[in-house]
Amino acid sequence: MGRASAPYLLILPSILFAFWIIGYPIYDMANMSVHAVNRFGKTAAFNDFANYQRLFSHQLFIGCLIRTLVWTVFVVGGTVLLSVPIALILNEKFFGRTLARIIIMLPWAVSLTMTGIVWRWSLNGQFGMVNATLSNFGLQDTPVEWLATSTTAFPILIAIGILVSIPFTVTVILGGLSSLQADVFEAAKIDGATAWQRFRYLTLPLIRPFLNIVLVLNFIYVFNSFPLIWVMTQGDPANSTDILVTWLYKLAFRYGELGIASALSIVMFAILLALTMVYAALAMRNERSTA
Amino acid sequence: MYQTKKSRVLGLLAGAAAILATSSMAQAETVRVVLGYYSAATQELFEGMAKDFMAKHPGDEVKIEVIQWDNLQQRLTTDIAGGTEPDIAMIGTRWLVDYVKNDIAEPLDGYMTPEFKGGFIESFLSPSTFDGKMYGLPVAASARAMYYNKDLLAKAGVNEPPTNWDGVVDTAKKIKALGTDAYGFALQGKEIETDAYWYYSLWTHGGDLIKDGKSGVASPEAIKALTLYKSMIDEGLTEPDPSGLNRQDIERLFKQGRIGMILTGPWLRGQIKTDAPTLNYALSPIPEGTTKATYGVTDTLMVFKSSKNKELAMKFLTETAFSPKWRIEFSTKEGFLPVMKEEAAAPVFANDPQLKAFTDMLPYARFAPPVANWEQMVDAVIAAVQKVYIGQAQPEAALKEAAATIDGLIQQ
Repeated sequence: MGRASAPYLLILPSILFAFWIIGYPIYDMANMSVHAVNRFGKTAAFNDFANYQRLFSHQLFIGCLIRTLVWTVFVVGGTVLLSVPIALILNEKFFGRTLARIIIMLPWAVSLTMTGIVWRWSLNGQFGMVNATLSNFGLQDTPVEWLATSTTAFPILIAIGILVSIPFTVTVILGGLSSLQADVFEAAKIDGATAWQRFRYLTLPLIRPFLNIVLVLNFIYVFNSFPLIWVMTQGDPANSTDILVTWLYKLAFRYGELGIASALSIVMFAILLALTMVYAALAMRNERSTA
Repeated sequence: MYQTKKSRVLGLLAGAAAILATSSMAQAETVRVVLGYYSAATQELFEGMAKDFMAKHPGDEVKIEVIQWDNLQQRLTTDIAGGTEPDIAMIGTRWLVDYVKNDIAEPLDGYMTPEFKGGFIESFLSPSTFDGKMYGLPVAASARAMYYNKDLLAKAGVNEPPTNWDGVVDTAKKIKALGTDAYGFALQGKEIETDAYWYYSLWTHGGDLIKDGKSGVASPEAIKALTLYKSMIDEGLTEPDPSGLNRQDIERLFKQGRIGMILTGPWLRGQIKTDAPTLNYALSPIPEGTTKATYGVTDTLMVFKSSKNKELAMKFLTETAFSPKWRIEFSTKEGFLPVMKEEAAAPVFANDPQLKAFTDMLPYARFAPPVANWEQMVDAVIAAVQKVYIGQAQPEAALKEAAATIDGLIQQ
């Protein structure tokens, strides 16, 4: 065994094992997606990509795809836009900072399903806390069913999606902020840089690697986020709050359309992979040019 | 030394042979039964049946396994895919068609005497009959009726519950005129059985879900049925924004005394008993349009084609599980309607006036049609009625779209 190849040989079993664990389900799924499958999971003959054809021509596919992108962009965008100022504030020294940090982190400890159930109850038109509060303050006279139409339900879902993504994002950005050197900022202050200039030309570039991580990870989580929407609306009314992953669940486990469902899984995997790779490439090019 | 070893081996062989011989003589067989969970009583009831049966057939064994309904279909699917399916399973009758199409369910006629088959109330047999062959025995049945709040109706000056839709609209208007926070007619607008809540109207207006192999949800009767609901929403005769309320929500409103009339199943009686014992309510048939109808739902016990013990499995069902004694015990403890004639004649059922409201409707009971892809059709219908309830589409346009989707699914 040569000296140079020894480390590679030693980690080879783990790599193979990891490939097998991750790769086999993907292979199996891809295999299923190009064969006819009955509702009991038995695969039959290769069917000329009929599953994909049926998926792309399905009347709900485009709508779900667009909603998934809207959902992902708004939740991730909103999360990052809100998390940066929150992290900046929590990075300052003030009385009760620890308590404030704990409160921001707290939603993280609650499972998404639980959060969904609590909000579903709060938003219930007849028995919910939201309507009770509003009518106590005289802000409404007839109960509003918040989840009854997509015009109210979808923005609410996005808002709650942002709420539950903030803890993780703030934590990562806070980590980035605490790694910054104080003397650079002092020097800038002495040179007469305003607070905005310091943020724009010092803080932001310095925490960019952390923002990149947060964007990519949140993008993947939110794109595949199932529990909130499923618990709160199940995609109702009339599929107007369905995103790809909730529709996927219906296809696979309610309708028994395992062929289309596996095709959709592969398509979602491809979309995520492509977008992540494009983003990673862009971020790396940026880093090189600023370096 | 060698000698003793040899004799020991011989002894072992003889012993093994003896065990084999006795077991093949008694032909001990095991029947595995997988059931859906209705209540805490389910396991106990079927264990009781198994004990009874094993006492009559010494050596044979019946194994009972109870599973949550939410997981049942997925569990059976994985069992079938892996070749480890049980001998008997309880399933929602509407799933049966998929089992028959994929050659998983065993036709049962050959295992039953005509007397046994004749013991069932006929309308419950049709949902599990395909091409003239029976593939399952109805085990739990429910029908729907109208619950009405007696106090609320009396306050509005209505002393007899309405029997037709005009009467329902009229009564709801009077309840609305009271100016309280009560609503005349409950309308369910989301999640499970949202479609069924509209079928009451569809069927009583003379419509059909599937007619001549095509979807009937865009027929003139269907449009009329949906227009009626929509006009009730617009006039404020139902709770506002029904698409925000599921079945539990409207039942809760009824229990709070804030609903005049609601259409639902026998389970609400039990809930009222514990949650709202002072509620003054009564039951009456589903309101009529041009005809009488109600929604009948059954669950089914089916036998797997792959089972090695089909004879014994069927004996367990015909001799014990569907004996009058156990049928009465099962239906009373679980709160279902009787499925066998002898059971229906028993005093517990015949003398309960509230249950009579349900059993009286049985001759008019309609069932989910035995077609493949049913769950997808249901969701197409739900999407259509939701679009109408929230004012996003007109009844005719929404229903035509749903009918086109369903026709596509039928042809698949």
